[in-house]
This record gives sequence, structure tokens and C-alpha cells, in this order.
Amino acid sequence: MVAIRRNIAAGTFLCLGGWLAVCALAKTVRVEDVRVTPVTAADIQKAVRDSGAKAVLVNMWATWCAPCREEFPGLVSMAHKYQGQGLKVLLVSADSDADLPAVKKFLAAHGVEFPAYLKAEKDQAFIDGMGKQWTGALPATFLFDGSGKLRDFWEGETTFSAFEQKVVEVLGKQMKPTGGTP
Amino acid sequence: MKRNSLWTLIVSLSLAGSAFGLNIGDKAPSTTVKMKNVDGKELSIADVAGKNGTLVIFSCNHCPFVKAWQDRIAAIGNSGKDKGVGVIVINPNDPASYPEDSYAEMQKRAQKLGFTFPYVVDATSDVARAFGATRTPEAFLFDKDGKLVYHGAIDDSQEADAVTKHFLQDAIAAAATGQAIPVKETKFVGCGIKLRAKT
Repeated sequence: MVAIRRNIAAGTFLCLGGWLAVCALAKTVRVEDVRVTPVTAADIQKAVRDSGAKAVLVNMWATWCAPCREEFPGLVSMAHKYQGQGLKVLLVSADSDADLPAVKKFLAAHGVEFPAYLKAEKDQAFIDGMGKQWTGALPATFLFDGSGKLRDFWEGETTFSAFEQKVVEVLGKQMKPTGGTP
Repeated sequence: MKRNSLWTLIVSLSLAGSAFGLNIGDKAPSTTVKMKNVDGKELSIADVAGKNGTLVIFSCNHCPFVKAWQDRIAAIGNSGKDKGVGVIVINPNDPASYPEDSYAEMQKRAQKLGFTFPYVVDATSDVARAFGATRTPEAFLFDKDGKLVYHGAIDDSQEADAVTKHFLQDAIAAAATGQAIPVKETKFVGCGIKLRAKT
């Protein structure tokens, strides 16, 4: 009962956190079930190429980054909404190793049951490895197609509809984005 | 095929355009814009220029990266005048987004850290826009002729004990003595600047 109340409270928080169009109760995920893997930029590029997905959205975020937290619920919704249609979302935290518990807690609160990642490389190598267009500012989001080719890039907080429009395009779907949760 | 190629070209060009602010060798922009310092005085970048160069750092209060580097920023800033390098630290963030970045909080931070250099408010965020600054803390070092000679990180580690490359200090030392700048550009992960809305 306490757990249920906690989850409802978490869901309410997400609704108040902005992005009303994607407001929804987070899935129930226990902190101990959250999977976070340390990665380099090369690891991420390989994960994109090996994903077998039609489109891969890679989001760089951090627990302390307010705009990252604002757009986060929408990215999780995007992952859930389009996972059956060929989209994979890779959430890569730029928090320090010491902040891993906070990262896991945040991911659990947002219902991230799919694998997530933690930057484990010096900034310069990591940024250059992801692409010259990224200055290093957070949040940053890369959209790749199934072949690993970069199709779009956003630096700074971005809306669900802006992401969705491009994701749908890369997925090659005829449907129009709905702007809401599944 | 042609449609795809054109699309790729358009994306590439738009991506390339988003990545560029000032280039090494560019002159400092917005040097005469007056900004309110924590001591209440209005100052411009030109007002603080040193005989050997000028250091401009976009910074703020709330950002954990700034907090990690703030003692080093204070030390570098406070030693600038000994090297003939003028120093100004500019907060371009909208305090509506980050209350910790308000003017009153800036005054407290400057006092707490013992800044002997200006810590000013970019009240429209237009100075940050002119520089193409995107994150904090982001350093721009100009030589005595006002040309950009170093852009990027303070050093290579958030942890002061783990620093192996003192990019900014080395650049200042080189600029102050007329030597070649060892590393001219570096990248780092930082807090995205929350610009004020254009008026």
C-alpha cells in the first residue's frame, strides 16, 4: 500500500513537472531493477549500430540538470510509445560515478525499465566521439537511423512533439504524430 | 537517392551551423555592452581588458559543474591582474529558470569565494548569444589584440585532485608572455545556458 501511494505520488510529480501532453503515471520500477551500464562514446555508437532498430534516440542528461529533468518524461513516453514500431531510446547520464544511486533512483521514479547508461569517459573524448555538432551542453539528443547515420540533433530542452515529428519521419511511418502517450 | 542526399546535406549544414560560436582568431564581440557587477557598478568587457589579454568566463551559481570548478575559477580570476590579463565572469542565465542565479545570490557567491574580479549580469543574455556560449563554465581568452586564443574548459577534470591538463592556466601564461597557446580549443560537458527570451 505504501509502495502504491509512493508510485502515485511519483506519477503526480511527473505531471506537475511540465510536458502536460505526455503526463502519465510512471511505470512501477524498483530501484534495484534499474540497469545502468558505464559507456564510452564508442560504446554508444556501437549500441546504435547493433540495435536492430529503425531509429535510435540518444539523450544526454544529468540528475542535476533542470531542463533535462523537464524533457525526461517525454523521452520515456516516446520509448514506450514507439518501442514496438522500431524505436530504441538510449538514456545516457553525464552524472559522476558517485551519483549513480541518484541516477538509479531518478530512472526508477520515471519508470525506465529498459537499459540505461552512464558516461564513463573524459569529456573531450566523449563529446568528440558523439559528434562535432555537440558543444557539451546538456541536455543533448541525437537521432540516428537504423544504419547509424545521424538524422537530427538537438542541444537544449526540446519538446515531445519536436522529437516525435522527427522520430516518426525516421521510422518511415505514414501516420501523423499524435503528441500524446500511447 | 537525390532526395536523400539533399536531405542529408540540409541536415549536415544545419547541424554544422548549430555548432559554431566564435572561432579562434575572432575578435571579442559585444565588448562595450555595460553589465551590472556584483558591486553595483556597470562594466563592459572593454572596461576590464588587460594589457596582455582578457579572460571572459560564462558562469553562474546553480550549475554543479560551476560549483566543482568555482574555487579554481576564483584562483585563476584573482591572479589575472598579476599577469596583465583582465578578467570578467558573466552570468547569462535567466534567474526565472534558476533562482539560485539571481543577482542577490551572485553577490553572496562572489563575496563567499573572494572574487577580486567582476561578476556581472548579462541582463538580456545577448552577450552570451554574441559569443555563441552554450554552457557553464565556458572560458574565452583573448590576446592583447582582442583576438580569441583559447576557448573551452578550465581544465580536464571536475575533481581538482585529478587534473592533469591546466588548459586555461597554460593559455593565460602563454598569452601573458607572448608564447604560442598550447591547446586552443577544448570541449567539456556543462550546464546548458538558459538564455532569457529575446525581447
